[in-house]
Amino acid sequence: MSMDFILAQTVVNGLMVGMIYVLMAIGFTMVFGIMRIVNFAHGEFYMIGAFLFAILYGSNGMPFAVSVLLAIGATALLGLLMERVVFRRFRGNELNGMIASVGVALILQNSALLLWGSSARTVPPVVSGVLSVGGIVFPWSRLVVIIGAIVAVVSLNLLIGHTRIGRAMRAVAQDSEIAQVQGIRVDVIFPAAFVLGVSLAAFAGVLMAPVLSVSPFIGLAPTLKAFVIVVIGGLGSVPGAVVGGLLIGLIESFAGTFVSASLSEILQFLVVIGVVLLRPQGLLGRKEREA
Amino acid sequence: MKRFKLVAVLAASVVCSAAQAEDSVTIGVHASFSGAGAAFAEGMLAATDFAAEDVNKDGGLEVGGKRYKILIKQYDDRYRAADAVTAMDRLMIQDGIHFVVGPMGSAAAVATKDQTTSGKVITMTLAFTPRALGADAPFAYRPVITTGEFSDPQVALLAKNTSAKQVVSLLPNDETGQQIGVANFNSYAKAGAKLQVEYFERERVDFVPILTRILMKADGLELGGNSPTTAGLILKQARELGYRGPVFVTGGDVAAEMLKVAGKDAAEGVYVHLPIDIGLPDTAAYVTRFKAKYGQNMNGFSPFFYAGLQMLFTAMKKAGTVDDTTKIATTLDGLSDVPTAMGKAGWTGQQKYGIKHQIDLPFYVGQIKDGVVTKVATCDVNACR
Repeated sequence: MSMDFILAQTVVNGLMVGMIYVLMAIGFTMVFGIMRIVNFAHGEFYMIGAFLFAILYGSNGMPFAVSVLLAIGATALLGLLMERVVFRRFRGNELNGMIASVGVALILQNSALLLWGSSARTVPPVVSGVLSVGGIVFPWSRLVVIIGAIVAVVSLNLLIGHTRIGRAMRAVAQDSEIAQVQGIRVDVIFPAAFVLGVSLAAFAGVLMAPVLSVSPFIGLAPTLKAFVIVVIGGLGSVPGAVVGGLLIGLIESFAGTFVSASLSEILQFLVVIGVVLLRPQGLLGRKEREA
Repeated sequence: MKRFKLVAVLAASVVCSAAQAEDSVTIGVHASFSGAGAAFAEGMLAATDFAAEDVNKDGGLEVGGKRYKILIKQYDDRYRAADAVTAMDRLMIQDGIHFVVGPMGSAAAVATKDQTTSGKVITMTLAFTPRALGADAPFAYRPVITTGEFSDPQVALLAKNTSAKQVVSLLPNDETGQQIGVANFNSYAKAGAKLQVEYFERERVDFVPILTRILMKADGLELGGNSPTTAGLILKQARELGYRGPVFVTGGDVAAEMLKVAGKDAAEGVYVHLPIDIGLPDTAAYVTRFKAKYGQNMNGFSPFFYAGLQMLFTAMKKAGTVDDTTKIATTLDGLSDVPTAMGKAGWTGQQKYGIKHQIDLPFYVGQIKDGVVTKVATCDVNACR
């Protein structure tokens, strides 16, 4: 393997992992920005999305597009149910909401364990083969993840920036009371934001399922990474989640490739500590106004 | 009269429950039923369940002229040493159990060793660490074959069959992974090859960054010590990076899952450790029974625990007691050529661990060819033939 190959491969892998983290972190930060809930169950929706896709596409041989839509749709419905039953009661109550989310995470993880068993499942590849550029090869399976994630982030950006509901979400995130006074129905915006966040997590799960493996325990690591990323990028900041996600993905890939896997974890948390010390609001976050 | 009847019924029920309590032996299953090791735990529970079912259908275990029904009590240690200690305390103190299938993980076995030794509790562990056995743990037995037993003869065979001299290995950075890493490093050195071990967090599923670096100068890849899915994922990702060299899996029961995860092409030519020989009728029957009852593929360690319990029950019968664990352990130590689901079993390990509490059974090496595993050698602790 040449150094060019290693560098190119490291960048592609960093981008792939980074884009998945971006999808996870955007959902996580949206729910926090709008509902003021740190949702530690976020990764479990990633797991459920991946599992449903594995069952529909992998086990039952349903068409790819149908499997993707059904997996995301069913996870979104579950998210809506959770918002109605649990999270609605904790809007704005950050500490209790966080504790409730840990409970939801445990319930979802153990329900998956009971329903689908502990053994990891694998999903047949959606695409196979490699893309060869100047003698350097990239597996298509990984490139598809990057492309899919970019499409999702661009679509989300269009939704938030150029649609009525997107503008309403931004208004509620800035000040829910003033938004309500302006006629925005926050009772619609809260569940909509939660379902959107959950759907992004489910999409991330769907993208990763054919590349990695699916088990009831895959949700924890992405949740922790999403938390780290929003701390780096700024809680509630979508651009911050994009920057933080790519940064963490590339750190993970470069440190893992050129130094060691353990050092990669250490480096990520050093970055978090540095950001918290030097810029507590995150790289692109806004400072909380003092009372 | 009514009061007399009521007292008589109550007295009878107390006598009955006392008799039932006296005529039963409870086996504790102490394993990680939640978390990444749940498949191993389910295999251990299934083995205990089958062993109990077999004894109970014949009216119970006949010991010293009495028949004892086998009951099972399970506890989850969640793959954490602290929880393992708590679970063992509950098994020993709350439930008064003297026989335990487990602990499962190496950290759990080391953490609970003092408890079970002082409580004279006979344990049957899955822990791969050499510290799980020893003269300081006279009640700890291991019914599975570990890296310590199979690494040397298998690596010697593979070194002979391939030209690999710079081998790299990926292992989880926990007690199990560290112990396997050390054992494999020594085995490769003895066989004239150099093994570079890279450790990772057990939850990791993306190995491309590590593989990109370590495969640069490697002419062999060792995946033994990983879970079947992880081994399959590493293999798949290594092949995606263009690695075409030999791959060895000198541990675990990974072949079926590895083929499923990595695919037939990626798995072609891979050498795998085979813990069981389904050519043996009793082993094949166990595999079929597992599949029929649980509807899923069996974890390869499961029949070893069934064999371990067969030996334990034999020892109880011979010792003529279900209470005196010292006497049962002494009898168990002396057993050899006991017919089990895995063939005739005895104990070994005096030289390696200072105590003969390591099960002595043959193991095998296979090679994947066109999606099928073919047995290429039968091994014991001394050599593969």
